[in-house]
Parts: sequence; C-alpha cells; structure tokens
Amino acid sequence: MRTDYTKETGPILYDDMKRNVLVVDDEDINRELLGAMLSDEYEVLYAEDGDIALEILKENYEAISAVLLDLIMPNMNGIDVLKIVKEDPKLSAIPVIVLTADNSAEVECLNLGAVDFIPKPYDAPEVIIARVKRNIELSEGRTVIQSMERDELTGLLSKDFFYKYSVMTEHFYRSRAMDAVILNIDHFHLINEIYGREFGDKMLKAIADTIYKYVRTKEGTAARGDADTFYLYIERQEDYSTLLEEVQGDINALSSAVYVHVRCGVYCKEDKDMDMEVIFDRAKLACNAIRGNFKEKISYYDVELKNKSVFSERLIQDMMDGIEHKQFKVYYQPKYAIQGEKPKLTSAEALVRWEHPDFGLVSPGAFIPLFEENGLIQTVDHFVWEQVASDLRVWKDKFGDTVPVSVNMSRIDVYDSEVEDRIFKLLSKYHLSPSDFHLEITESAYSEDADYLIEVIERLRHGGFIVEMDDFGAGYSSLNMLSSMPIDVLKMDMKFVKDMHKDSKRKRMIELVLDIAEFLGVPVVAEGVEYKEQYEFLKEKGCDIIQGYYFSKPLPFDDYEAVLETAIKEGGE
Amino acid sequence: MLTVDMMSDYGADVKTALVRCANKEELYLKLVKKVPDTQDFGKLKDLVEAKDYEQAFEVAHGLKGVLLNLSITPLANPVVTMTEMLRAKEDADYSPYLEQMMTKLDELKALIEE
Repeated sequence: MRTDYTKETGPILYDDMKRNVLVVDDEDINRELLGAMLSDEYEVLYAEDGDIALEILKENYEAISAVLLDLIMPNMNGIDVLKIVKEDPKLSAIPVIVLTADNSAEVECLNLGAVDFIPKPYDAPEVIIARVKRNIELSEGRTVIQSMERDELTGLLSKDFFYKYSVMTEHFYRSRAMDAVILNIDHFHLINEIYGREFGDKMLKAIADTIYKYVRTKEGTAARGDADTFYLYIERQEDYSTLLEEVQGDINALSSAVYVHVRCGVYCKEDKDMDMEVIFDRAKLACNAIRGNFKEKISYYDVELKNKSVFSERLIQDMMDGIEHKQFKVYYQPKYAIQGEKPKLTSAEALVRWEHPDFGLVSPGAFIPLFEENGLIQTVDHFVWEQVASDLRVWKDKFGDTVPVSVNMSRIDVYDSEVEDRIFKLLSKYHLSPSDFHLEITESAYSEDADYLIEVIERLRHGGFIVEMDDFGAGYSSLNMLSSMPIDVLKMDMKFVKDMHKDSKRKRMIELVLDIAEFLGVPVVAEGVEYKEQYEFLKEKGCDIIQGYYFSKPLPFDDYEAVLETAIKEGGE
Repeated sequence: MLTVDMMSDYGADVKTALVRCANKEELYLKLVKKVPDTQDFGKLKDLVEAKDYEQAFEVAHGLKGVLLNLSITPLANPVVTMTEMLRAKEDADYSPYLEQMMTKLDELKALIEE
C-alpha cells in the first residue's frame, strides 16, 4: 500500500486494489488498444456508445473509478454523455477523461467537468496509465476532502473548512467590510423531542437551504456548527432581520405548534488580520447575550459585551483563588411555615455570595450561570455543602437542635457518579443526618435525561434526603412527567409571586401551582415574597412555606444564628 | 501470413504503433487485421459522394483515430486530409482522396490475405 499525505487532509490512501475503468469508444480497435494498455493495472469495462456507457455507469457508479470517453460517437456523442454524468449527483464524482484528436473541444469539455485529455493517436501506454492513475488519485482525494468539508446533513461547510475558506476569501477581498454572524435556535431540542429527530433534521435542512441562498447573494460562505448553530461570513449588511424572518418562516412553515426563537449574534470585523476563530467567538458571545430573551433577536458585539466578557473571564480565573481565600460566603435565607397560628421557622436556604477583593460583592446572578456553563459550579456547590455541614454542626452543638438547610444541587452534581458518596461522607464527617440537608434541584435539570436523574434522586430520597424541585414553573415539565418525578417539595418560581399584582391571571397561575402540589401531595415553598399582600394571598390560598424579604433577606452566619436561636427557644417554650 | 515487416514495407510506422501495443507484435497484427473489416471506408465514400459532409466527418474522424493509433500511415493520410476538409464542410472534389484510400485499403487487404 502506498500512502500520499497532503497538508489539508492528512493521509490519502491509494492502495493497489485493482480499480474499474470504463472505456467508451465506438471504434472496436480503439477500445481493444486502450484495454490492452490498461488491463494490467485496471479491470476494464467497455461501452460502444453513450447509451450503453450511461447504463453501465448507473448500475455500477460506486465501483467505477474513471471513464475514458471518446467524443465523437454515433447516437449519443461524448459531450452529451459528459453533461449527463456531471449533472447526475450519483455519477458526477467519477472522473471523466476525454479521448480526442480534436483540440478545439478541450475548453468545452473542461467547462463541462472533464478532468483530463488523452490525445489521439495515443501516447505510450505508461503515459496513459500514469494519467489515469493520477486522475483517480486526485478524485479519490477530493472525495475524502469533500466528505470532511461538508456537513453531511445540510450540505453546508463543516466548521473547520468554513474557517479555512473564510480566511481564503480574506486574501482575495481585503477591501471588503465583512461580518461574522452566528445564528442559533433556542430550545431546538424541543423540536426533536416533540416531533422526533427526523423532523428536526428536516427543519435544519430547510434552514440551511435558506441560509445558503442568502449567503450566495451576499458574497459569503456558511457552515453548520454544533447542532442548531449556523455560521455565516458575509459582506457587511445593514440589517439581518430579513434573514431571521426567512429562517423563522422556515420553522413556522414546518411547525406552528412549537414556538422556536431564532437569534443571531453579529461581529462587524474591523481588524483584517484578526484570527477567524476569535471573530466568531465574538459573534457567539453576542448571540449568547440574548439567549432566552424573546424580545431581542439580533445582538451586536460591542464594548459593553466585551467588558462583560472580560469580567466573566476574570471571575472564572479568580474562582479557585476565591475558594481558597474564603471569599465565598454562605448566607442563609429563612423559610417560614405560614399555615399555623404564627409563622414558624421551618428551614433555610443556603445561598452563596462572593466578596471579590477587586469587584466587591459579586451578585450570584453574575457568577452562578457562568459557572454552570463551564462546570465550575460543582466546586462552588461542594464548598457550600461543606460550609453548611460545618455550620449545622456548630448550631447543633450550641443549641442541641437546628432546622434543616437546603442546598443547591446543580445538574452537573447529579450526573457526577460520586455525588452520593461525597454527600454521605460529608454527613458522616460532621455527624449529621440526611434530614438536616434538603437538596434543591432546578426544574430545568429534569428535562434532560430524566430517567437517569430520577434514578439518582430516588436513591438520595431513599437515603433520607428531602428533595425540593427549585424554580418550578420556569421550565418545561409536562404534567405527565411531574406525576412520575421523585420530589418532596415544590418551590414555585419567584416570577409567579413577583408578577402576581399585575393581573388576576397571574394569581390564578399561583392557585394552579398550589393545586398541582396538592394533587402530588407535596408542600409548596413560595420564593421572592416581599410584600404583605403577597403573603396574605399565599396564606389564604394554602401555600405552606414562604421565603423572601417579607420575613428576612439572606443572612450571614451570625445574624441567622440569632434568628435560629430565637426560633429554637420559642419552639421549646 | 501478415508480419510486422510486411507492414513496414507497406509504409506503416510499425515502431511507433508497437509502443502503443506495449511491444506486443501479436496484438498489433491482430488489430491491423481488423481494419479492413470495418464498414466505415465504404460508408465514408457513400456519404461524401452524397455530400452529407456532417455525417461523413464523423465517420472520417473515427477512422482517422483508428488508423493513426495503429500508425497505418499510407491509409491514414487520405483519411486525415478528408477529415479536415469535412470538418470545414468543404464542398470540394474528394475523389482523389477516396481513390487513394480505397487503393491503400485494397493493398492492406491483399497483405492480410497473403
């Protein structure tokens, strides 16, 4: 076996397997002469006219490595055969070498897709064999490259090739102002879940076709990246709303039942020498900045975004240092049971705060979603669990009793095979029982690989933990799924309470959540309760537990300890 | 029995033709013997005489390819000339070339039959 290497594709193999070549010539003597030349190296098939040639090709297209085609033949001439071969997607990859004594036909044949010529009278056999072999090698190499070059599903470029082509375009058109555009579809996985993968693929193809037509008119190129992300590198446009409308139209045409939001991030390239991946990282950053924001569809990378990105990067860099130097602090927000005569402290939620040496108090909203994206949240979670366990031990020793504390368990924790071991070791280390710890798992975690998640949670509950479903109502739980979910408490998403004053429908929504909880036989915790009207409404409607500024903001260790001490004393009286 | 020497004496460029046949004399002679069997000589004559130059060109072009591939120069020469005239659709007197072609064809047939 011989191996050729190219810079672009790595090894291309041209082994010694005998390939099939088809000789098409109406002259018997010419066919036999060529056959005699080629038969040591190739299996030679023969066709005496164009019709027979096409018949053989259609039946054996995958097995024929090259066609040697005479141009002037009766019935169907070589030019017509060449046209048909090159227009047929199944045949077009087969290299066609034209046999001719007529130089004037060369340009036409090349334009039609012939790869080479063999002049008549023929050259020496070794020359012809070498030309055939080289053309087969090139063709097979091209096929390998093309298979890597294109995204199989949509036919758009693959991301790596897209970057290369875009760089090439830069060399030729340096004076053009270019934009890097990333187009993404929010919650595309819902389409696959509801309608099946085949339907989802159909939609991606339709979107890709629209994008392809769009970039063709804008002197650009396009690729499909991961799943539902599309990359476009095109001449600067004033507005991308037409593109978005067209893509949204494709989606709506295929499915009016599911609302899928299309968004795009744009980076207007300024520095011609900037690395293509950096350019698209910026477009992606702009695109991600409007994730989940259904009002904005187009986002441009700007200074504000850049600063935000630099800030995020800094937080990522500083996280480990922050853990080591105890910059992260655990705060406790009390939860009160409200259905008794007077509100009673029933538990607390552990919330993390970061006192950054340079930025001051960093909002959890700034670092938790960021750390959730890159998995660092697990380190923070583990820190919080350890701190809570240690604090619980202090209070138990001090007061002889305490109330449970709920901690957040991120999706990544649930999927960690060592999570149960870790949490039980922690309890053992501080001599605590599972009933001291409540685990809060966000509703959105349940939507992916629910079976596995249910299995882990069942085991934790079996071990004695109370599991609370956090942010209920913000995600996509179906009522059917809910009935099979292993949960002990529903925590209503705080948006329900926040918006309840707006209209009666919002209040009705709260009643519905309470009804669902009653149906499931689990208590409800309402978060974000700030005002008396909210508290009174929730109490009247039967909400069990309340957490929010109405009773208390999240408290540092000492302040919460005082609240706890009072509650324990009152409980003992 | 036809030999390469006889073909050389006839005027064929045997050396060049043999290169194309990977120096296989047997193959070369086998292919040469097939030449008189082709109907194209008669067809060319009829088409030229009927002034169907377009069809005649296609036949002449095919014959030219075969004859040059086998380097049968004496027979190829009139065919090459006629091919170019027919390509230009020249309404000329083709009879000297047709006559030369038929004469050389007969000579070749005679050699083969010897």
